[in-house]
Amino acid sequence: MRGVSLENVSVRFGGVAALGDVTLGIKSGEQLAVIGASGAGKSTLFRALTRSVPLGSGRVAIGGHDLYALPRRRLNELRRRIGTIYQAYNLVPQLPAGVNASLGEVGGMGGLGTLRTFLSGPGAGLAKRVRAALEEVGLGDKAGVRTADLSGGQQQRVAVARLLVQRPDLILADEPFAAVDPVTTERVLETLQHLNREGATLLVNLHDVEIARRFPRVVALRGGHVAFDGPPDQLTEDALAKIYAGDRGTTAGGEDPDLPYARRGIEGSIRLTEGRDGVSSH
Amino acid sequence: MASPRTEHPGIGGAVPRFSWKTSLAALIILGLTGYSVAGTDFNIIELLRGTGDAERFVSEMFPPDLSAATLGTAGTGILETFQMSFLGALLGATVAFPLSALGTQEISTVGASRGERLLRAVPYHLSRMLLNVFRSVPDILWALVFVVALGLGPFPGTLALAVHSAGVLGKLYSETLEAVPGRPVEALAATGANGFQTFLFGRLPQAMSAFTSLTLYQWECNIRSATILGFVGAGGIGQQILISMNLFDYPKVATLVGATIIVVLLVDRFSAAIRQRLAY
Repeated sequence: MRGVSLENVSVRFGGVAALGDVTLGIKSGEQLAVIGASGAGKSTLFRALTRSVPLGSGRVAIGGHDLYALPRRRLNELRRRIGTIYQAYNLVPQLPAGVNASLGEVGGMGGLGTLRTFLSGPGAGLAKRVRAALEEVGLGDKAGVRTADLSGGQQQRVAVARLLVQRPDLILADEPFAAVDPVTTERVLETLQHLNREGATLLVNLHDVEIARRFPRVVALRGGHVAFDGPPDQLTEDALAKIYAGDRGTTAGGEDPDLPYARRGIEGSIRLTEGRDGVSSH
Repeated sequence: MASPRTEHPGIGGAVPRFSWKTSLAALIILGLTGYSVAGTDFNIIELLRGTGDAERFVSEMFPPDLSAATLGTAGTGILETFQMSFLGALLGATVAFPLSALGTQEISTVGASRGERLLRAVPYHLSRMLLNVFRSVPDILWALVFVVALGLGPFPGTLALAVHSAGVLGKLYSETLEAVPGRPVEALAATGANGFQTFLFGRLPQAMSAFTSLTLYQWECNIRSATILGFVGAGGIGQQILISMNLFDYPKVATLVGATIIVVLLVDRFSAAIRQRLAY
């Protein structure tokens, strides 16, 4: 995969611009933190990179492929190379942790393989990799436990195990530390950077500026536009103040471009924790 | 300390404030009530005047006929009703499941071409339409249809229950599948899972306990319906009730109706207990 590029990308939700004219180039193997107040468009940016939101205008290219022009089959092939990890874990709560981790491979299974995995669990080769991945995140004994019965931090580690099983070329981590404890944060960050050293491009969406400073490149969004793009040492207090200006610390319902998702009734309450954007909370 | 404004900007309670919309709604409800009362010859006085006849009817039911022959009839009737309702629910669920899977709208059609969308819309609308036909025809009408086609007996009754159950369950299943939390499903799609895979691993596990609960509830409904189906000759205890009614054998009717009530209550309790365990 030869990097990611966004050219004049705009995304609108019901008349509200979530992303406006974003142009961004990310080289293969790069490590990048995205910061910004809540509603600045961070999550929308990430969703545009997996073609999960309709594009208003512009072009998103991943590895040279125009993401929004790919036919379904090619899109799924490309998506298989993209690993995701989210603030709300987004695992299937009713499935055992081991099955959730093995779903990193689900895109690669054929119709029959999918059915077999559904009925009797992953095959021997995949099961071995799943066990190794769970071992690596310290959950070796939890493979058979229902995911809903795990703690938040443990669930996020299962999500990381899913990444380890998938071995993606591009990792999109959308606020992976927003709902986990500091120890898990360090652990997850370490694994993500390890995958990056092995060649994966890493994009992390953060609300914690201190963690963002540990990345060689930081991009800040404000009101859907790129407000800063550079190494963290150029991220002065003045620059930060501008990025977070007007963030009242609580999400103002009507102005949050992420709201259309909350309105769909999908884990709307999760958004409540987003109010602390820009505050180093750990 | 003079307050600049004495006026309170009211918040209002849970009941909508008086507005032209609420007044219109109230008017419509009032109008419909009058229209329906007139159309159905609804008359409280008539109801009270009828109590005498009802009293005679009920008193003739007592004492209920508890002879071995009548209890035997009640037993076989109840068993047949039970078997009809169970098989009806099971067959209904079996038909409903694949149809509901087809009748579930996929969330991620972002960037799909017009042709692609159209191709997906065809099975969706076909299965929804079929389920609607199954569901909107009441089971007693289905029973009439099957009795005409297959003759009297519990078999047409079972088929009637199966078809109606398939319609009801199919709609409820697909609504459950659509209402499942979408983020895990989207997460799967974002890493390259196709529609079949997101369904199997994303939607289905999240909907499973609701499916079981809905199916049990449908079985409960089927027991109640199955007692009626006998009135059109489609088997079950209803057929026995109708025969005894026509013979003015009210003590026997009392026994049969009593047995029906007991079984319906028992099944309700049993199914409710299981459903409560499923909901956690």
